[in-house]
Amino acid sequence: MEHASKRMSIGPKDVLQLKRPTNGFLCSQSEDRHGIEFLRFSITDESNKRVFFAIDNESRLNDQMELDTESYSNDDCYRSIKYTFCADILHLPVVATHLTFKVGDQAINSFRMIERHYFQNKLIKNYDFSFGFCIPGSVNTWESIYDVPPLSENLIQQMIAHPYQIVSDTFYFVGDELIIHNKSKYRYDPQDVGLVVAEIGARRKQRRGSVIPQVELNFQKLRELSIMERGMSTDQISEDL
Amino acid sequence: MGLLSILKKVKEKEKEVRILILGLDNAGKTTILRRLTGDSIDTIEPTLGFNIKTLEHKGYQLNIWDVGGQKTIRAYWRNYFERTDGLIWVVDSADRARLQICREELNNLLGQEKLAGASLLIFANKQDVRGALGADEIAVVLGLDDTDLFKNRHVSIRGCSAVSGGGLAEGVDWMVDDISNRIFMLN
Repeated sequence: MEHASKRMSIGPKDVLQLKRPTNGFLCSQSEDRHGIEFLRFSITDESNKRVFFAIDNESRLNDQMELDTESYSNDDCYRSIKYTFCADILHLPVVATHLTFKVGDQAINSFRMIERHYFQNKLIKNYDFSFGFCIPGSVNTWESIYDVPPLSENLIQQMIAHPYQIVSDTFYFVGDELIIHNKSKYRYDPQDVGLVVAEIGARRKQRRGSVIPQVELNFQKLRELSIMERGMSTDQISEDL
Repeated sequence: MGLLSILKKVKEKEKEVRILILGLDNAGKTTILRRLTGDSIDTIEPTLGFNIKTLEHKGYQLNIWDVGGQKTIRAYWRNYFERTDGLIWVVDSADRARLQICREELNNLLGQEKLAGASLLIFANKQDVRGALGADEIAVVLGLDDTDLFKNRHVSIRGCSAVSGGGLAEGVDWMVDDISNRIFMLN
């Protein structure tokens, strides 16, 4: 039995080759012996820090989440979640995701996450991040800020029109061993898009004229702050640069 | 040619830069990290692990690691040295009582083989606090004139205030430029 489970063990290379969402789960729910606990997750519009989605371990489920009891009648429904996001999120130029997790009282040597997103069974995004070493009993955060290439209006309409056909598999590995596998399905609610979409559209247009990514704008702001501190004018500094 | 050019190619393809922020507890490492992207700094707890921020800047993907500085955690710092392109050492310039410990911990890091190639940015933080030592005074305390210790290393020491944001952008810009000149442009 033990031999069989070893042979079955799934590594990062295996999941990076997947071309569509898995049927079911590639590891059992009891595979995690490292006591990993996800404490908080949020998605933010980085340009104005508006929070689109936030969940913490105390609230467990909020009204944007639903267990996927249609696909899984057993306990597996707890690791397959259906999310509803405001459709604005599809228009955001810069998104920040923020994850907080705790590890058990043993150190973890090499912790890695791979998340694959599909739309109608086609791979659209792959995230691969190595956390590496985790200190015993530590609480750790990972914030990822990234530019989102503009989606065509047609694709956005398709995604809104086909709820739950955007699907993702999230895999967590310790070393080469898969320890956690979660599934998500997404639906985009087109309600209340009007104003915000217009605002984002305007921002995008502004950005199109320049190659400066959003993060650099923040740097610019910092630079101005520090210039003010030193009592210098912005003109002086730009000459320095 | 040889290994160096292979390394260069790999780096160019990924354009990933790994920056490690270390320093004693309460030096302001997490505040600096959060300030860089304009996040709120109102409720920052002592870091009992790491905070990673991944962002795009000047065409690079920066992976910035802020690891807790409490004494019990310092023993784990070495687990984060691998593949570090830049080290940011944060000093609480107003914590005169611990400047000697601060110097010793930095000296330890400078002796680490895995950090040998990393650019070093020293932030003399808390310049907004009354009684804080200036960047040049911190440089003396840390022994930056000790040529043996800082030999062959790209070093910059700068005053900053994580609370006001002053000095942070220039510092990080220096570091990213220094790393990109060193790693990505080698030929």
